[in-house]
Amino acid sequence: MVSSLLEVKTHPHEGVHTGSPMIQFFQVYKTYPGNITALTNISFKIEKGEFVFVTGPSGAGKTTLLKLIIRVERPDQGEILVNKRNVGRLRNSQVPFLRREVGFVFQDFKLLNNKAVYDNIALVLRAFGHKKREIPKRVRQVLRVVGLEDWVLKQPPLKLSGGEQQRVAIARALLNTPAIILADEPTGNLDPGLTMEIMDLLEKVNALGTTVVVATHDTTLVAQYKKRTIPLYRGAVVDKG
Amino acid sequence: MKENGPAHFLSIGTITVSFFLFASLLLLPLNFISLLEAWEKKVQIILYLKDGVGEKRTIQLAGELHREEGIREARYISQRMAMESFQRDLAGYGGVLKGLKAETFPASFEITIKERFRTPGRIRSLAARLSKIKEVEEVQYGGLWLERFSLFLYTLRWGAWILGGILVVIIVSVTANTVRLTLYNKRGEIEIMKLVGATDAFVKLPFYLEGGLQGLLGAGGSILLLFVLFHFFSLKVAPYVSLYFGQLRLSFLPPNLIAWILGIGVASGLLGGLLSLRKPARI
Repeated sequence: MVSSLLEVKTHPHEGVHTGSPMIQFFQVYKTYPGNITALTNISFKIEKGEFVFVTGPSGAGKTTLLKLIIRVERPDQGEILVNKRNVGRLRNSQVPFLRREVGFVFQDFKLLNNKAVYDNIALVLRAFGHKKREIPKRVRQVLRVVGLEDWVLKQPPLKLSGGEQQRVAIARALLNTPAIILADEPTGNLDPGLTMEIMDLLEKVNALGTTVVVATHDTTLVAQYKKRTIPLYRGAVVDKG
Repeated sequence: MKENGPAHFLSIGTITVSFFLFASLLLLPLNFISLLEAWEKKVQIILYLKDGVGEKRTIQLAGELHREEGIREARYISQRMAMESFQRDLAGYGGVLKGLKAETFPASFEITIKERFRTPGRIRSLAARLSKIKEVEEVQYGGLWLERFSLFLYTLRWGAWILGGILVVIIVSVTANTVRLTLYNKRGEIEIMKLVGATDAFVKLPFYLEGGLQGLLGAGGSILLLFVLFHFFSLKVAPYVSLYFGQLRLSFLPPNLIAWILGIGVASGLLGGLLSLRKPARI
């Protein structure tokens, strides 16, 4: 798990599949206002410790699928189980706790550009109810895990390179030692060299048992990493991985 | 609040002006009441007697008046005493006043009233009872204008609270709009915080606090402004006013009223924050 990544320096190794389901979609449908169909009859299972690509061109429904997992959107039909929780039936007050089990990495990083890197991470720790005195140590620890040194702490995100910003975003996603990492086009804004760095980092996280789901339209990337894929086209799974 | 400085400055300024109007309307009757109380102490009823009331009847009348509920003292002023008082008051016109006869002046009773009977209503009812005495020609008392002044104060006090109610609506609306503006400016931050698992309470609390703080600063500012103006009035203006109206006993808003105003400020600000977060970003 990521907890061990935060506490012990380890070397990457093969991801560990336990066979128990971490994410399950059962005949899920989602339509947006204006009768825009986003997903149709989606069913799949992702096991604990798996690394899975959700692929497809723009508009295929990749982002909607990820949003359904963390209950930003609700399905119109069907059931979604995430770490044994029925996401569609979760009470609103329980949603934040689901999201703490799922780290989310975005294409545009979604960092607070008017705050320093330290504050970007510390704010989330405060939201999770961490004790004030523990926060500085925890921030440094998680940044080291993603390969960032202390000099970035006082920098605003926009002073960092795209790769460094994405590392900060991944550090933020790892904060609560989540069972799942969802990454929506995490390398979409990065050059090939930085893309490799970020993907290697996600592999490293996965190697320690965290389930990783990466949504991407980059077929080269998918071919390079040889993981199971869930290919989407116009809201439907075209070939089960 | 620093991210949205000008809007907050305007909002706090508007709240300050609103509360200043409200607090001023509360302060005015407070000081007019002390003026009214000072005047009430001086109020006398004068009973002018008909001509020809004999000495025996006058003594009887004095006894009856002393027994009357609400009368502290009834001093008899004979026709001669009235004339002498008149001559003393107009001593400069000595030659003109020489031919006056005591019979020209009516005898009277000057009546001072017990403290708890010195309200406009009770003075009026006492005067009405005394006017029914057969030997009384006329009853004079300064109660009518006191009654009108008292009514004016009553209206002013209620007006202050009604205006206060209207101002609270304005304050709530101003605060709600400012908080909404901050909410709009911070929508990115809110979205991120909710996506990473912050609870609604964690996201909303700063906005409630911002509303409450704006209300507190606005109400506090109004009290400060009013105090400065009150101090200026006490030092520079009141001495001149005292020349016409006698010694003024001015007082500022009592601590409990200040606490109420600050409390209303905080509550209105919180309500503003609450209203602006009625429909939070659905993330």
